[in-house]
Amino acid sequence: MGFNVLSLLIWLPVAGAAVVIGLPRRRPELVVPVAFALSVLTLGLAGFLVFDFETANGGFQFIEKTAIAPDLGIDYHLGVDGISLFLVALTAFLFPISILASVNVADRRKEFMAAVLLLEGALIGVFLALDLVLFFVFFEVLLVPMYFLIGLWGGERRLEAALKFFLYTALGSAFLLVGIIFLSAQANDQFGSPTFNYLELLNLDISRSAQYWLFGAFGVAFAIKVPLFPFHTWLPDAHTEAPTAGSVVLAGVLLKMGTYGFLRFNLNLFPEATVQLAGFLAALGVFGIIYGAAVAIVQPDLKRLVAYSSVSHLGFVVLGIFALTSQGVSGGVIQMVNHGLTTGALFLLVGMIYERRHTREIAAYGGLQKAMPWFAGFFLFTAFASAGLPGLNGFVGEFLILLGSYGRYPVLAIIAAFGVLLAAVYLLWAYERVFTGEPDKEENRVLSDLGLREVGILVPLVALVVLLGVYPKPALDRIEPAVERVLDRIEDRTDFEPPLRIDDIAVVPAEDDQ
Amino acid sequence: MTEISYLAVGPVAALTLGVVVILLVEVTWKPPTAWLGAIAGVSLLGGFILAVAQWVEASDDPIIRFRGMLALDPFAAFGAVVLTVLGAVALLVAWPLVVEQGRRAAEFIALVLLALAGMILMAAAAHFIMLFLALEVASISLYVLAGFNRHRAESNEASIKYFLLGSFASAVFLYGVALSYAATGSLSLYDTAEFLGETVLLDSAALLAGIGLLIVGLAFKVSAAPFHMWAPDVYQGAASGVSGFMTAGAKVAGFAALARITVTSYGPYISDWAPAVGAIAALSVLVGTMLAIAQSDIKRMLAYSSIAHAGFILTGLVAGIDGVPYVWFYVVTYAFQVLGAFAVVSVVSGPSGAKSPLTDYAGLAQRAPVLAGSLALLMFSMAGIPLTAGFLSKLYVFREAVDAGYLWLAVLGAVASVAGLFFYLRVIVLMYMSPNGEKSPAPTDIRVGDPVRLALTSVAVVTLAFGIVPGPLLDVVTSALPF
Repeated sequence: MGFNVLSLLIWLPVAGAAVVIGLPRRRPELVVPVAFALSVLTLGLAGFLVFDFETANGGFQFIEKTAIAPDLGIDYHLGVDGISLFLVALTAFLFPISILASVNVADRRKEFMAAVLLLEGALIGVFLALDLVLFFVFFEVLLVPMYFLIGLWGGERRLEAALKFFLYTALGSAFLLVGIIFLSAQANDQFGSPTFNYLELLNLDISRSAQYWLFGAFGVAFAIKVPLFPFHTWLPDAHTEAPTAGSVVLAGVLLKMGTYGFLRFNLNLFPEATVQLAGFLAALGVFGIIYGAAVAIVQPDLKRLVAYSSVSHLGFVVLGIFALTSQGVSGGVIQMVNHGLTTGALFLLVGMIYERRHTREIAAYGGLQKAMPWFAGFFLFTAFASAGLPGLNGFVGEFLILLGSYGRYPVLAIIAAFGVLLAAVYLLWAYERVFTGEPDKEENRVLSDLGLREVGILVPLVALVVLLGVYPKPALDRIEPAVERVLDRIEDRTDFEPPLRIDDIAVVPAEDDQ
Repeated sequence: MTEISYLAVGPVAALTLGVVVILLVEVTWKPPTAWLGAIAGVSLLGGFILAVAQWVEASDDPIIRFRGMLALDPFAAFGAVVLTVLGAVALLVAWPLVVEQGRRAAEFIALVLLALAGMILMAAAAHFIMLFLALEVASISLYVLAGFNRHRAESNEASIKYFLLGSFASAVFLYGVALSYAATGSLSLYDTAEFLGETVLLDSAALLAGIGLLIVGLAFKVSAAPFHMWAPDVYQGAASGVSGFMTAGAKVAGFAALARITVTSYGPYISDWAPAVGAIAALSVLVGTMLAIAQSDIKRMLAYSSIAHAGFILTGLVAGIDGVPYVWFYVVTYAFQVLGAFAVVSVVSGPSGAKSPLTDYAGLAQRAPVLAGSLALLMFSMAGIPLTAGFLSKLYVFREAVDAGYLWLAVLGAVASVAGLFFYLRVIVLMYMSPNGEKSPAPTDIRVGDPVRLALTSVAVVTLAFGIVPGPLLDVVTSALPF
């Protein structure tokens, strides 16, 4: 390896933030192009990463390691595997789009773009860190730019939403921090030297009761991020009040830190507790699916509707992960990416209409497809993808999750399947109220349709939605070895048996489409 | 081998000489204030160089000098290095206040230097009587500094309150010394340790009572709950320019003294005193955090938050000698942060003012971006957000507590730091997101003088540099152990 691609992925956006802040105040027109160029460069690096990634390898690749504080066992330690690979790619993909969607931010534009770029670097860091302290640092520090994004450029109730977001997440992190410290103290007892190295901590022998406590400490932090019912109450406020770029990043990537955390840390470090508690968490996930969907149906505010739909979709991911089967977990990983794309697109669409009419009330619209046919088309397409229409990406993830969880939790899987139905209800009903019928309000008749920039923002998203829908094999090929490794580990360490191997019938749907 | 070592008193001598010269020059020539500042700077520089020399000398060969009175060890040397730097930054912060004093400036500077000399001796004392004297030198100077603005009622109130409660604490401390002497027959910290190491006390009641009273006396000085009552009134009543020095200096010296006597003299009795320290830590964290939430004046908020931080620092001390490096790391970085925070307060609310309502800070980001940026950084650091020294400090002390079997204390501390976000974030919200700031028709620009700007820059550098690259400071503190 000639260069440290992982470090570059993290530090290029961070350096970019400094560059943007350093731009002369007299040249405000430079801010967006520079920020955009930097985020596209980061995307290029992520693309290189995806193509240079060894497909059949389930372990960590591109590892970088330097000691920071040897006495304490803290390292600068990065690596990527099939699970984190696509989350990094998704992050790098959504940021240029978010930046392009925010060109109309007039107030303190430099600071806005700098915060967005800092957020990008920290998010990529979360997915790449293999040292628990480093992970925690990225996990916690990204609250700061996000807090400012909501608090400075958000909607009317932004202060309340920003504070709620910060406090909820920080409360979870407090337990996470103590859990991390406790793990390193255990390492000190067992290995004779403290370490925060994830790969070394995997060899710890943790007693069953300690596993429960640690699972709880890590789990609370991640459950708040996901968010799992009943920790979800920060989400609708934060998503709704955040500026469009903030909502896209929140829903698209930030929530995935929770499900990623469960998959990376809880399943691997505390296998016994995982096996015991999997049913409970899967049930919470299913409850979230139905609850989120039911609440989304009755939302009068379009952005809140999309926000609650995230609670529902992330419930699927949790169900898939805690099904502890190959299909379920792989489906969960790919569904994280899918949700990032479709919900990101939905937030972008809501942002575009908000810029025109300055209201998010569904009741204020009606008959929009007359004035904005392109917009209506994109919205309907995204709604279908989000609702899991076969041939689009949402279907692949949800199908795999339901398939993977049916063998272990048939009842939960059946209930969850109703969530797919409810998604169609809230999305299509919203479409009906906003777009169909006669435009009875004068302002809605004269709205301009999407401009070139807006179409340019949406087209890459749509292309990926279709690509992952019809040909997910390249993605699954990279994800599955890493997932198998997690599950093998759980089977080695516990008396857990996979319910019934349905590998033979679970041919990935992509195979059919080839 | 002689018992006299000029190096052991080097930094103190440099500062005391500075005091004498300043007072003599003042009565003889009545020079401009800047000259007095220059003399103070030279004596601080001298003290710093001698402290570094102590470090170089003592890291190979720690030793006790002056017939068991003073230790010349890395612990003392590090304390002197930190305190001289802290003193220099504090004088920069207080400079507008010093200039305002006119002809009384010399007294002010002399008192700061004297307080520093006392604090340095507190970190170096190897004998209970020496420690008591050092404590009194530092405390009396601080009492006077608190009431320096004698025309203002709050200032007088602060001084009287500080003096009365402080004397009471000194008396408690002295009583503890007496009981410890009764139990061990020695006033030397190291003879006490030796005695306790090789003797089994049949009845340890007097000793334990003595240790308890010593801890209470010093807990008062570092404003740990439940001995914190004086702190908010004193820090608020004192002139803003000097509150930061009082907080920072008293914390560094107080924790140095506390760490030295607990881990050396009473090291064998750690299982007896550590639970008491843990209880004080827990109470301080809780009381400080809870009451800080309710404050509407930033100086009182900082005072209560300093009580919570005293609790976090004590959290590291329950691990005994293993925790000392991290107590150092925390107290040193925190001292600079609190000094910087009070520096911002002294600019925004005026260097001699007492009141500083939070509403003064509304929209500060527009009026004074440098001040708002520094204060925001310090707030994030005190709240323990990563990439600042405040995060690593907390991580280290929690880790020590968990290692020592005080998991509950680490959990409590972590949860309390979240509650702490309430008041730290409130300041940031006011400065950056307040609608008031946008409405005010012509926001008055706030001028930041060069000395304060320099002080804030150094504080920000310390906070960020040791938050991102803690290695160098960790290397130093892990060897800054008592003899």
